[in-house]
Amino acid sequence: MYKKLSMLTLILLLLIGVGGTLFGAPDGLEVMEKVYYRPSGDDMTADLEMIMTNSRGSTRERSITQYSIDTGDVDKKLMFFLAPADVKDTSFMSWSYDDARDDDQWIYLPALRRVKRISSDSKNDRFMGSDFTYDDLGERHPEEDRHTILREENFQGESCYVIENIPVGDDDAFSKTVVWIAKNKWIGLKREYYDDKGEVYKVLNIDEFKKIDGYWVITNMLMEDLERDHSTRLKMDNVEFDTGLTDSFFSERQMKRGPRR
Amino acid sequence: MNKMYQKIAQKPALVMLVIIGLTSLFIYGIGQNARIETDLDEYMPSDHPAFVFSDKAEEQFGIKDNVLLAIEHPESIFNPGTLEKIKSISEELPEQFDDIDEDDITSLYTAENITADEWSLIVESFYEEVPQSNAQIKKLQSAVEGNDMIHGRIVSTDGSATLIIAEIGEETFTDRFYADLQDFAASWEGPETVHIAGRPVVEGELTKLGPQDMARMAPLVLLVMTLLLLILLRSVRNTIINLLIVLFGTLTAFGLMTLLNIPIYTLSTMIPVMLTAIGVADGIHMHNSIVHIVHRKPDISRENLVEKTMEAMVRPVTMTSITTAVGFLALLTSDVLPVRYFGLFTALGIMMEMLMALILFPASIYFFGPPKQALKSKQAIQSKVTAAHKPSTISGRFGEKLLAHPKLVVTIAILAVALALLGTTRVWIDTSFLANFEDDSQVVKTDKFVNEHFGGTSSLNVILSSDEEDTFKQPEVLETMNELQMKIEKNNPLVGDSFALTDYMRRMHQVMHEDNPEYDKIPDSQELIAQYLLLYEMSGDPDNLNQVVDYDYMNANLTFQLKSDSSAVMEEVIAEIEPYIPQLAEYGVEVDYAGSGYKSLVFANLLMEGQIISLLLSFGIVALLLSLMFGSLWIGLAGTIPIAVTATVNFGTMGLLGIPLSSSTAIISAIAIGIGVDYAIHLIERYRFNRIRGVPTIQAAYETLEHTGRAIIYNAAAVMGGFAVLLVSVFPPNRQVGGLVALNMATSAIGTLTILLVVLVFIDRHSKIYSNKISTEEE
Repeated sequence: MYKKLSMLTLILLLLIGVGGTLFGAPDGLEVMEKVYYRPSGDDMTADLEMIMTNSRGSTRERSITQYSIDTGDVDKKLMFFLAPADVKDTSFMSWSYDDARDDDQWIYLPALRRVKRISSDSKNDRFMGSDFTYDDLGERHPEEDRHTILREENFQGESCYVIENIPVGDDDAFSKTVVWIAKNKWIGLKREYYDDKGEVYKVLNIDEFKKIDGYWVITNMLMEDLERDHSTRLKMDNVEFDTGLTDSFFSERQMKRGPRR
Repeated sequence: MNKMYQKIAQKPALVMLVIIGLTSLFIYGIGQNARIETDLDEYMPSDHPAFVFSDKAEEQFGIKDNVLLAIEHPESIFNPGTLEKIKSISEELPEQFDDIDEDDITSLYTAENITADEWSLIVESFYEEVPQSNAQIKKLQSAVEGNDMIHGRIVSTDGSATLIIAEIGEETFTDRFYADLQDFAASWEGPETVHIAGRPVVEGELTKLGPQDMARMAPLVLLVMTLLLLILLRSVRNTIINLLIVLFGTLTAFGLMTLLNIPIYTLSTMIPVMLTAIGVADGIHMHNSIVHIVHRKPDISRENLVEKTMEAMVRPVTMTSITTAVGFLALLTSDVLPVRYFGLFTALGIMMEMLMALILFPASIYFFGPPKQALKSKQAIQSKVTAAHKPSTISGRFGEKLLAHPKLVVTIAILAVALALLGTTRVWIDTSFLANFEDDSQVVKTDKFVNEHFGGTSSLNVILSSDEEDTFKQPEVLETMNELQMKIEKNNPLVGDSFALTDYMRRMHQVMHEDNPEYDKIPDSQELIAQYLLLYEMSGDPDNLNQVVDYDYMNANLTFQLKSDSSAVMEEVIAEIEPYIPQLAEYGVEVDYAGSGYKSLVFANLLMEGQIISLLLSFGIVALLLSLMFGSLWIGLAGTIPIAVTATVNFGTMGLLGIPLSSSTAIISAIAIGIGVDYAIHLIERYRFNRIRGVPTIQAAYETLEHTGRAIIYNAAAVMGGFAVLLVSVFPPNRQVGGLVALNMATSAIGTLTILLVVLVFIDRHSKIYSNKISTEEE
């Protein structure tokens, strides 16, 4: 009885495996590569609104105009603070490299009229004190994780792959993440972060995404840190693609000069 | 009433059965439910505004108690071995202790170093890989020395010691945790020494040491008291009865407490102290009366002896017990739970002791006959009694001198009380956990070490709050805070350090100006402050800022590190903050305090305030009850003299000897009520007993001194002797308890036998109180 059953199981598994390859169902890595290489334009301009809420329900809001460009091997971002008033015109620039190099970051403080490079090996790389790490905002290279498709399911009205990603190195704060990737759109709709004990400690939820200028863009997302009881909502507005930004725009001089508009 | 006791006493088997039954029940209760409550928070009235505020602030700013591991190297911690240990300990602590998170550790390894050069701002660890070469280590050392947020805080200024700080929750520190931590610390020793310090450690040691020492000393106290009772009473039987009364009273108090599931508080250890003094008084007065009666009628029958004894003693023993119990019940008005329980269960114990005294003595007579000692020594005493009208005995001569110079007695008493009152003005309130340890104990030495090398082992959180958003981005507000910090750090040698948002701002300002020390100050515009804050959030760990300022910049937390855990020092610092309050108020900023040190300060003051109010209240109640009992307001007032004298001398002596008033020393003054009332009632009752039998004033006084005086002196001597044993205790608070109990017993006895008697005779002579009664009560 046992033997028969296991025989049958083996055959079934084989069939599924062969069938999978035959019908072109991708494996985890392929899905994640599709997400990573999803076209996102050469450059982008947007207004960001960041709302952080702490455990006591107090909020901090920041409005930022953001410019970004992908020059092939460098992702450059330039941000100008619009509000709150006391940090208006403060600007922040980051260059992140496709290879293993650390990001370069600069800040311009208008009250000091100075640009400074920030060099931080702080283990805590939270973006502006929010619940997003720089990693969360940049695209994580698929090679940094081992990927397994756990299942396929409908999520928020989209047919999704649920993929488990286990980091290859041990530099990460999480032991694994699980993502929901919308098929055909190749956009992540939800991401759960697991700690060493195998418990979810952080959840990213995508509440809104749009197709703008032919590209899929996330325009509203919420990152919740369950441990700290802290959350950050990031909203994007006035999104424009391929407006012809040049590499030279991402400079210290521009940081002092202010946003283009 | 008499008849009831006699009936019960005639059934020794029943009495035994009930006692054994109750004893088993109480022992069962203690065995099942006894749990010692050491968490100070459990003592505190949690709805008191100061506590509500502090708890809120603690939650808001993550204010926790710190356990400090101080690593000391004979030369310098700047060597690969020690740096490796700092790293390993910082990593191992959260691994090995479930209650410690990675984020809870602060050390040279986890700290961030904010520096800058012309072009960049650098936020980095002091080291990640342990530096090996001399050059690398020199570089690290100069980085530490150049950063005031670390130098003198985490690493001692002489470089010989460093701290690893673990923040722990209130529930974390248990005996188990402490033992594990000690093992953990020991495993890292050599050549470094690893010290463990911090408030939870001291508190933990204290809650362990106190009861341990009491458990060691209590049998000794009992033994010495037993020996004294044997010598004084010359009766094994009555000595045993005395001990039974005390033990059963104590058992009742603790048995009921545990059966009702009430935990045993530190303060509860004072219950046996009270019950011993009071129970022995009951027993000795009973014994004294029995012996007296036997002396007069050596051939008296058992029934008659019981009859006579009860006739003389039921009234005073009942009166003293009820009055004392009511006096203790006045403690129920206290805000502090352990004080209320102390009052309630002492009162219950007193009532049980009363029943025991009134049952066991007659039962022993029914069962064994009159005490033999009384018969043996009757001759000697007989002669004294016959000579009572012509004093030749010590007490007689004493009485003669006493009554011959009433004015002198009163004058001396007034002088003594005046001196004591002078002393009371010097009483200072102080609660310090550390003061409870010997100067050469490990705890004190470690604390001293940490205080010498770092900011301090105790802390005071000053919570600044306003209704206006962004208040703590305003330069003038931060400037005032900074001024306050600098001034107090400079003026008060016991303030080692302070830490607030201001320190971040000064550091950022200096660093952003190429480390130019001229910029080690508060930036002068809100924009710049806001931009530094943003910069810090981007480059440092924003959670660090949450410990000093809230999200809306409406509330800030300024921490002072103190080199002493004495509440007096904390009050001193609070007084030094006062002058800045009006200036801060101009910016709409209010000043409050938080933290466990501050909570104990509030608690101690509340406790003492409550105790003093209850003491005054019970004083009033006693005066009222005595007036009712003796049918005279004057006698009632006179009866409070021993209490008043005892309490005054108690506090006065504390003031003169510099013993601080703390929760445990303050409660001892309750003994003034317990014993003062006893003595006063027995004395007045005996005097009255004599007078209504037609004995003239002076003779009545002599006889009272002879009769009650002896009982009082025996009682005082036995209890004093017992508690004097505590003077050799290794635990200073227990020494204070021993000394103060002995002092209070002595004052009560002396006060009763001198001034009260003189005043009593004076009242008797000037009012017709007893001459009237003679005719009515003597038919």
